[in-house]
Amino acid sequence: MTTTATRHPDPKMSERAESILAGFKLNWMNLRDAETGKVLWQSTEDMADPKKEHKAHVPKNLLKCRTVSREINFTSSVKIEKFRLEQRVYLKGTIIEEWFFDFGFVIPDSTNTWQNMIEAAPESQMFPPSLLSGNVVVETLFYDGDLLVSTSRVRLYYD
Amino acid sequence: MGLMDVLKSFKSPSGREIRILLLGLDNAGKTTILKQLSSEDIQHVTPTKGFNVKTVAAMGDIRLNVWDIGGQRTIRPYWSNYYENIDTLIFVIDSNDKKRFDEMNIELGELLDEEKLRKVPVLIFANKQDLATSATSEEITRKLDLDLLRDRTWHIQACSAKLNEGISDGIAWVANTLKPTTSSSGKK
Repeated sequence: MTTTATRHPDPKMSERAESILAGFKLNWMNLRDAETGKVLWQSTEDMADPKKEHKAHVPKNLLKCRTVSREINFTSSVKIEKFRLEQRVYLKGTIIEEWFFDFGFVIPDSTNTWQNMIEAAPESQMFPPSLLSGNVVVETLFYDGDLLVSTSRVRLYYD
Repeated sequence: MGLMDVLKSFKSPSGREIRILLLGLDNAGKTTILKQLSSEDIQHVTPTKGFNVKTVAAMGDIRLNVWDIGGQRTIRPYWSNYYENIDTLIFVIDSNDKKRFDEMNIELGELLDEEKLRKVPVLIFANKQDLATSATSEEITRKLDLDLLRDRTWHIQACSAKLNEGISDGIAWVANTLKPTTSSSGKK
């Protein structure tokens, strides 16, 4: 599995990916217990910055939530036709969960909030927080249709 | 009826998402309605310069997906990107913004003429009823020529997003309208 966005062989496509990425900023993100609406974690760090692996310290009771609400706020200076995310959770390099989120059209020069529900796989609830902490990496791939725009990696610590 | 009861009343045999599109002029109260639907604080609502999308509730396989798109003039040309697979259109009106009733009439008329929205039921929220000078839903029905609508399932609901009054009644209408058993038209 590559950790950086693969260069598209077509230079025009690569250029488009770069222009989307240059104008894309993740302003904030939060996680809530979907059943109570309580905010469990929030961050204003741009976790979409592909240049480094990010770290997030989340409360360990997040693991007990059956459904988590994840909200992101982002700005895009260019139009994105078919915005979508693929998200994979790795435990020591092995995929333990995988989610796909389709959004669609993103207006140029817009700031947007996108909240959705993430239902945890029952298997991931079986691991104790001490085993998971520091060993879980959430990889988020940002796409415009089939064009990979960026890859972000966040290492999770359960405190 | 509480919102949870309303949501329970949705029938979703295929487990598909029920997609609701919230449109209206700027400052109509769309984002406040969305926040009330998800029981969030409404203190810090700012003009939407894009969209807000929320899955308002998920119970079993039922998901209510609400798309709130900014209403400013510069954003309205992009509304048409969000008409695919919409189950209900909610058009929000600032009932106190009487100077712009004609503009609302034009915008709503254009939406109703959209081919992709032809079979979509329309709920009109006559918002800001907490203001004493607001027009009533009867007045708005006249101003927006709603009685002239043909071949369209529609409903107007007086509400105050600020006070969270009338919102769940409107959503209950949506629930009843989307129920397969009550439909006499071709909509499944």
